[in-house]
Amino acid sequence: MNTIAIVLVIALIVFTISLSIFSRRFTRTTADFYLAGRKVGSFSNASAISGDYLSAASFLGVAGAVYASGLDGVWYAAGFAGGFMVVVLFIASALRRFGEYTVADFAFGRFGSNRIRLITVIAVLLTSLFYMAPQMFGAGTTWQVLVGKGAFGMDPYTTGVVVVAGIIAFYVAVGGMKGTTLNQIFQFWWLAFAMTMVVIFSFGNGFSYPQALADASESPIVNTKQMTVAELTTENPATGKTPYDSAASLMTEEELAKVDEFIASDAEGKIPVALPSANKLHELRDQLFSEPGHRYNTFDQFSMVLALVLGTAGLPHILNRYYTNPSGSAARRSTFWVLVFIGTFYIFAPIAGLAGLGFIKEYLAGGGTLNAATVHGLLVKPDQVMPTLAEILGGQWLMGIVSAGAFAAMFSTVGGLLIAAASAIGHDVYEKYVDPNATEAKRVAVGKIAVLAFAALALFIGLAIPKYGLDQAYPALIAMMVTWAFSVGASAFVPMLLTGIWWKGTTERGATAGMLVGLISAISIIFLNIFQQLGTVGKEGILGFFGALTFPVLFTFPLGLLTIIIVSKIDGQLPKNVDQIWMRIHGTASERHEKQHGLDKVGSMFTKGK
Amino acid sequence: MPDSKLHVISTVSGDSQHIRHGDHTDTIESVDIVFRAQRKLSFTYGAIFFAVTLAIPAASVWWEGWYAVPIWGGFTANYLVVSLLYYIFLWTMAWTYSKQADKLDEQLMDMATAITATETAKEVEAE
Repeated sequence: MNTIAIVLVIALIVFTISLSIFSRRFTRTTADFYLAGRKVGSFSNASAISGDYLSAASFLGVAGAVYASGLDGVWYAAGFAGGFMVVVLFIASALRRFGEYTVADFAFGRFGSNRIRLITVIAVLLTSLFYMAPQMFGAGTTWQVLVGKGAFGMDPYTTGVVVVAGIIAFYVAVGGMKGTTLNQIFQFWWLAFAMTMVVIFSFGNGFSYPQALADASESPIVNTKQMTVAELTTENPATGKTPYDSAASLMTEEELAKVDEFIASDAEGKIPVALPSANKLHELRDQLFSEPGHRYNTFDQFSMVLALVLGTAGLPHILNRYYTNPSGSAARRSTFWVLVFIGTFYIFAPIAGLAGLGFIKEYLAGGGTLNAATVHGLLVKPDQVMPTLAEILGGQWLMGIVSAGAFAAMFSTVGGLLIAAASAIGHDVYEKYVDPNATEAKRVAVGKIAVLAFAALALFIGLAIPKYGLDQAYPALIAMMVTWAFSVGASAFVPMLLTGIWWKGTTERGATAGMLVGLISAISIIFLNIFQQLGTVGKEGILGFFGALTFPVLFTFPLGLLTIIIVSKIDGQLPKNVDQIWMRIHGTASERHEKQHGLDKVGSMFTKGK
Repeated sequence: MPDSKLHVISTVSGDSQHIRHGDHTDTIESVDIVFRAQRKLSFTYGAIFFAVTLAIPAASVWWEGWYAVPIWGGFTANYLVVSLLYYIFLWTMAWTYSKQADKLDEQLMDMATAITATETAKEVEAE
């Protein structure tokens, strides 16, 4: 890592901490700590939601997915953005109008039982953990790639996890939602700036989008893979060929000589090789960059997009942000701006991925050398395409900007997750059940302790992933874990939210049963998948079938929804005050009242809480 | 913030037929009418959104002209839509939906005001 990058990353950290300390005096009440006083304007909230949503997986991973997979990677980005349409159409304004603090509050207020509130809390914590895991793994690997050095006797991966968890725990605990909101706004605009700069530098260096796409699609996509000697020399029974044979058909003599040497030495570890890609969608066609089929077969083409679209509406840290808006219509406007912001970001990310493919090959062919590992003119780790491209096109400064952007993306997302988890513990459990008469100061203190406890858990998860070999079981672990979080959220919350908002006939028993079925089925399939990858569950039979599902949401979402409808129909026990609840979700008297007294005005996020 | 304003904020009352926040009232009839209109709007937009979104993978599977024929440089129709036009579709939908939903909210506002006025008039008449 270069000096400029280190300076920019440190400057980002210092600025982040300063913002939190600045926000500290405005965080006296729970409404301040969890909701920034409900005074975040549409544009600011949209920036913060975008910062919350765009993790390092989006900043580094989407360009990497496009670099490695072409159109399937682009579709992955579009699916991420599409999820906000479900939020704006069905959830945003109703959730805000209902008021309160959290998704669990909505479940309690709508269905009137402690049981469903506690189940929602468990679902929030589990979804947050599933989403936290890839962020922390991303923190470790990003530190490894961008800094490359450990501190205090720790290896680079551990240092990254510890540093990121420590800084985020500090700034969230000190600044609460106000500090986190300010940080997320700043962090989003920093990573948007970094992405824009990479794209501008690409076009400035002669990149032509249609021409680059035509060039990339001239010959089939080539993949890189790191393989052991045993993996390289094991014959595929269907084709009778070994991976070595396939690699030999592509790689140059010089490249192949290194592989031969590795095999002859029978060394431990892995060597990167280049392999031809198969088209999973149209098996008789070559896999071209501009055509679908590199990652997803027919089933996954549909299930991936549904998982991402429905999963976005089930991420508690995103849903909680809607309570910070001053009104329902402001919540809708926020979502529109989110779509504009992240849409633009996801238009740019594939451009960076495609530009990386051409520029990196050209640079290596011209005799250039890179810090990142390459084989056959391709990066061995596609997630490195953003910093590598930045370094080639803009030197140390641009790479520094991108490095700070990657850390900003991690900080903003993990910050949002910590607030969501803290509000589940501090607000939904402590304030409601443990000590309902606690003073504001005590409630805020519990929220801060919950942040620290959850940050410690995040740290543990980050360190546990490589320890248990999960990173070896999945070649693209970050993307995989993100889809798990989406699946859990989509299966547990979205059926409950959709029916709770749009079907008066939903009963408490129906919603509870649906949430449990969605949550348990999604987590079961995910663990079946993990155990199958680790080799403890076979690929045969019903377990094998479900274990092989990449996106369980295609089964688990309809299962949860049907359970709610069937149980509610059988049960028929509507809450006694269902009409009042209905007026609270869909009425506007409260907003009109606030408007009349000027309480809907934003811009007063920094009035001191009473 | 003056205390009187805090007092106004906390004035919330109602029963199963109406809910009152300060001077403003929602009735179950008016909310139900606008809810049905909102539901129609949301689900119509939702149907269009899911139809378009799922049509993209459907065409990617079954329509060669969509996924395999370059129409501009190396862009296939599939690549152009997924990388650019889909976002324009999302922005347009979100914008028009928000505007229409805001209009419905305004209708609720007028309707609730009219209902409140009618109820007040009836009460005066009865006295």
